[in-house]
Amino acid sequence: MKLLRMAWRNLWRNGRRTLVTVGAMTLALWAMVLYTSLMQGMLGSMESTLLDVELGEIQIHADGYRERPSIWERIEDPEALLEALDETGLRSSARLLGGALVASGEASTGALLKGLRPERDARVSDVHERLDRGEWLDPADGSGVVLGYRLARTLGVDVGDELVALSQATDGSMANDLFQVRGVLQSLSEDTDRGTVFLVEDAFRSFFALEDGAHQVIVRSGEGQELLAATGVVEEAAAASVSGVEVRTWRDLLPGIANVLDSAQAAVQVVAFIVYVVIAIMILNAMLMAVFERIREFGVLKAIGVSPRRVLALILTEGALQAALAIAVGLLASLPTLWFVVSRGIDVGQLGGTAIMGVSMDRIWTGAVSPVTIAGPVFILLFIVGLAVLFPAVKAARISPVEAIHHQ
Amino acid sequence: MGEGPVISLRDVSKVYRQGSVDIHALRDLSMDVEPGEFTVICGPSGSGKTTMLNLIGALDSATSGHVVLEGRELGSLNRKELSELRRDRIGFVFQAYNLMPVLTAYENAEMVLWVQGVDGRTRRERVMGLLEQVGLKGMEDRRPSELSGGQQQRVAIARAIASNPAVVLADEPTANVDSETAETLLGLMEELNREQGVTFLFSTHDPQVMERARRVVRLVDGNVASDERR
Repeated sequence: MKLLRMAWRNLWRNGRRTLVTVGAMTLALWAMVLYTSLMQGMLGSMESTLLDVELGEIQIHADGYRERPSIWERIEDPEALLEALDETGLRSSARLLGGALVASGEASTGALLKGLRPERDARVSDVHERLDRGEWLDPADGSGVVLGYRLARTLGVDVGDELVALSQATDGSMANDLFQVRGVLQSLSEDTDRGTVFLVEDAFRSFFALEDGAHQVIVRSGEGQELLAATGVVEEAAAASVSGVEVRTWRDLLPGIANVLDSAQAAVQVVAFIVYVVIAIMILNAMLMAVFERIREFGVLKAIGVSPRRVLALILTEGALQAALAIAVGLLASLPTLWFVVSRGIDVGQLGGTAIMGVSMDRIWTGAVSPVTIAGPVFILLFIVGLAVLFPAVKAARISPVEAIHHQ
Repeated sequence: MGEGPVISLRDVSKVYRQGSVDIHALRDLSMDVEPGEFTVICGPSGSGKTTMLNLIGALDSATSGHVVLEGRELGSLNRKELSELRRDRIGFVFQAYNLMPVLTAYENAEMVLWVQGVDGRTRRERVMGLLEQVGLKGMEDRRPSELSGGQQQRVAIARAIASNPAVVLADEPTANVDSETAETLLGLMEELNREQGVTFLFSTHDPQVMERARRVVRLVDGNVASDERR
């Protein structure tokens, strides 16, 4: 108690210095909580776009399809596979994929046509919720298509406009058809934005003269289910229902992005650490000054029998009190900021749609909050303050009383 | 006082090395201090007064010889034991008072008892009694900056005797106060010596202190030049 009282009073012997030090810690903590929240929000959004909209956690293709994608390389009996997957309780849906030249007026470009059943596909993908304008596919509207937003811009089309698709059908004939743009997607990913056309399954089959089969089955793992466990279940269901297919997790499909997402949290902590090191130098300087100013006092304390451990504890307590103040004020200041970035977000304007590792950033950058958002920056701050205070504290504890008492 | 000297120095030497030069602060000094003595160590600057007090106070160690306090050879004690010895058996009064500026008079006087782990109630009774004894009743809550030099030195004396030490070492205790205050402080220490048997060992240049001492030891060049008992 006395130690705490002494430490507290010592802090206010030079109130301005203490306020500056605590202010720097507070600012650093506030900035790091905000940064962590925004990074978590961005990574969460990337992961969500990647899994909820584009890939799903697990995909099934015909053997060899991924190496050489071709309209002919398909899962022979997707219905049996979907039925088997339904029995496992996992959500799944099949898609048909085929390349085509799409054109409108003078503009034309290559695109990947994705055929799907809207109702079933909604179980595995939120793409239908990511429309920038227009409407999602309707099974009753066989000629309606939804485009990536850059593709729409390239072709100079918008909702209600027509576009022509040309390709080779599976029967060797020339596939060509006229479609009408029902909707344009928000920015999702490089691939989707620049070259994807969604259409209903029947229209796809009719266009490519493809009677059966599917090129891709997307599977979502259960809530909180380990990816590895879900993959095992899917492999079993696939093996029992169809042959000649391969099961891959999204990590196998996009190992680069998986690594980035895995290491991103560590990267956040590294940036926090670097910011805090600057603060640590400031704290170290302030604490060293505070110790050197009081060398004589530490000498007297030791002379009258105060143990080095108590002297050490005194300085550490002074550091801890400053950190506690900074944490209290920093977290209070963080609350409204977190509320703002989580509920409102930051409009990044022209940066919206910028792709990071192929996944687009939303125009409204929202933060996320989890225990890590607060605990991470707080623990790093405590660690750094502890390190910064330790040196002057040890110095004070080891001081020779004779030299200290006669210190001028 | 048949239990033997409270302090015993035998052939004590202290050599400081300054660059390539050895400075002999004490040279084979021998001396005893009996319990209850009121002794002054005097001598010119550089004669070894402060060095001697530092050695007796377990603040520094001798280069050679034996420093014994209440039968314990200080050279054989480790840092922790020395720290505990200073806490329990030695009181210090410094020239510059050296009170903790953030603590009140009461808290400063209470410091050693707190370090000793004495319970709060006993501490309070003891410290309030001491502050009354040194004439600071009613000033318990004042910080050193709110006290005069003489009052601060009284707090330092209260702190020094709070734990009933074997000896109080006072290094030039009157150097920073006027002669009237010095007289009062000396009277107070004499009273503590006479009534409570506290052993005082002063280092001083102050003739006022020397006049009131019952024993005056004069050091010259790190050794005892004269030892006068009155």
